[in-house]
Amino acid sequence: MRLSLRAKVVLVALVLSLIPWVGYLHLTQMDALLRQGQEQALLATARAVATALHDRPELLELRPGAPASGEMELILKSLARAESRIWIVDQRQRLLALAGDLKKRAPGEERGAAAPAPLDFAMRMVRPVTDFLLERPTEDFDDALSEAEIAHGPVAASALQGVPARRWRHSPDSRAVILSASHPVWAGEQVVAAVVAEETTNAIRSIYNRALEQVVAVTLIAFLAGALTLILFASRLSMRLRRLRDEAEAAIDSQGRVRKLIAGSRAGDEIGDLSRSFSTVLERLAQYNSYLENMAGRLSHELRTPIAVVRSSLENLKMQRMPDDAGVYLARAGDGLKRLDTILTRMSEATRLEQLVRQPDHERFDAREVVRGCASGYGAAYPQKKFEVEVPDSPVMLSGAPDLYAQMLDKLAANAADFAIGEEPIRIRLEVRDSQATLTVSNRGPRLPEAMAGKLFESMVSMRRPDGSGEPHLGLGLYIARLIAEFHGGSARALNREDGSGVVIKVKCTLAE
Amino acid sequence: MRARLVRLDQSGILPPMGRIVAIVEDDPGIRANYADMLKKHGYQVRAYSDRRSAADAFRTQLPDLALLDIGLGDEPDGGFTLCRELRAMSAALPIIFLTARDSDFDTVSGLRIGADDYLTKDVGLPHLLARISALFRRADLLAQPPATEDVLERVPLRLDMKRFQASWHGNTVDLTLTEFWLVHSLARFPGHVKDREQLMRDAHIVVDDSTITSHIKRIRRKFQAVDQEFGAIDSVYGLGYRWNA
Repeated sequence: MRLSLRAKVVLVALVLSLIPWVGYLHLTQMDALLRQGQEQALLATARAVATALHDRPELLELRPGAPASGEMELILKSLARAESRIWIVDQRQRLLALAGDLKKRAPGEERGAAAPAPLDFAMRMVRPVTDFLLERPTEDFDDALSEAEIAHGPVAASALQGVPARRWRHSPDSRAVILSASHPVWAGEQVVAAVVAEETTNAIRSIYNRALEQVVAVTLIAFLAGALTLILFASRLSMRLRRLRDEAEAAIDSQGRVRKLIAGSRAGDEIGDLSRSFSTVLERLAQYNSYLENMAGRLSHELRTPIAVVRSSLENLKMQRMPDDAGVYLARAGDGLKRLDTILTRMSEATRLEQLVRQPDHERFDAREVVRGCASGYGAAYPQKKFEVEVPDSPVMLSGAPDLYAQMLDKLAANAADFAIGEEPIRIRLEVRDSQATLTVSNRGPRLPEAMAGKLFESMVSMRRPDGSGEPHLGLGLYIARLIAEFHGGSARALNREDGSGVVIKVKCTLAE
Repeated sequence: MRARLVRLDQSGILPPMGRIVAIVEDDPGIRANYADMLKKHGYQVRAYSDRRSAADAFRTQLPDLALLDIGLGDEPDGGFTLCRELRAMSAALPIIFLTARDSDFDTVSGLRIGADDYLTKDVGLPHLLARISALFRRADLLAQPPATEDVLERVPLRLDMKRFQASWHGNTVDLTLTEFWLVHSLARFPGHVKDREQLMRDAHIVVDDSTITSHIKRIRRKFQAVDQEFGAIDSVYGLGYRWNA
């Protein structure tokens, strides 16, 4: 699977999702602790009430129809906790006293200290979700104390047996959880009554919910901020890398020239390093390229002296009296020398042209005349081939050197004539489009090999097979054509014909103003 | 003392015998070969391998013609320096550069500092000999009052075939030997197109096409220096050049 840098970074950001999980574990623990604390507190309340009633059996006298006596009420009120209910039941399951209320007196959301603004905002944002997921404590529940609970409730029963107990139970309508704790009231050795204290878990529940909301909000904020930062960072990284890649791909153009990289070349990080080392590599490549391009010139220069030695030696030898059969060898040596000369001449032609095109002197000329003139000469130069010429009716003014333009056309024509097969004439066409003068030379013949695409116009690149004619092919003809095209502010391209029946070479030059 | 045989032939031209040709060339093979060949054709040859020894010898005695290489040993431009020194000593001494360098820049530099011709080392010995004797002929005739005339007139062009001098509207155009031969080749049959092969043959040179192009360019410039309107040499694209009558 191919993941982009950005996708990977986002995956890494998923590690942040551990935060809510850890928060949840923590909250669960906190919840358990709170419940335990509530149980203890409730139990303590029950015990306190029981202790207060201990040995005061007169308070436990049932006076049917009358509320709990003033003293009893005082005890219960002073020991009771807010939002709790205390009742006392005797051995005959009669309710002796009842005080307090399970429901909150003043309903309304009290949420403690307000959270910091972004957190508060985030909490409000997530509330719809948490409301949906969490069980919200409600004050609207059935808090009736049923007969069954009084008579057969296990908590009261256990206390009446003399064992304090606690129990979690649902309210009759199951909308709240009620915790009850009981304690026996002793009179001497006897249990005379049981004190039962009851409370809902609503308080704990809302603390728990609030904490969970906070955790979710914090996580969301952290996740969003983290992910956003990471995505920004990753986008920037991948953008820089992409730019570097694009530039590196375009660094070597179709004509084999090498450009320097600009993207990230000043950055101090690894991408900068990459760009710089890529630049160094490209620079070396450019040096090597120019070494290759200049090789022809240097070689011809270096070879000229030894060849001059051979030639002058041979010429001196010819003036000597020699055995009869020596003439054959002299002639062969002369032939070889002539071939060497041809090679040298071609190599130096490219070099001279490189120097020539560096000179800035341009003149205006009509390319039509050059093309017509050249084409009329090709009939004589290549008697076996036919040429077809097409030029526009209006002048095609270029800025450059007509001689060089003619030389370029010569190279293209020679190239086409070498590869042309069949009866179809070689087509030379000059046309003007978009202020560009396009010269096309098209011939029927073998297609361009894929591997040579874009390379044909480089120095010393040839796709010809040695044909045994002894004519040296140095791969300089099209290189020269390219140099001249560039001198005229243009470019040269080689394409296969659309139907694959041959090759088209196009030279585009900018029209003179 | 050198015994100089001065024997005039019918045309009043000195035979090669006894003329001193100096060769300054750092490659021993070429030096020896050219020296042998020139000796066989009756010239006296002095061969030097570096600029210093040649300059010392020239101060004692000037040769009648100098063949100079440009790069001499460890002096890449030693030949140019030597040419300047020689030209300072004698304005008439024929000087030919014979070198492996063939860039336009070198050619122009060589000719500008006073060489009479500039040849690359792939010139054949017969071509070299033709040049040497032509330059001697010119040198001799320049020293003598004009006795006989051998002139090609294509008004306003005038080519003195003995002194190898060209003039345009009566103004002398300073052409090198090669350039003179090219102009002559073109102007002999006005209106005829001469291709590069023919021009090379007539000028006794073997070079590539673009060298001919730059020769023609230089010739046009020299004529334009005396006449802005000069346009007698036509390019016939794909074929060659033509003298416009």
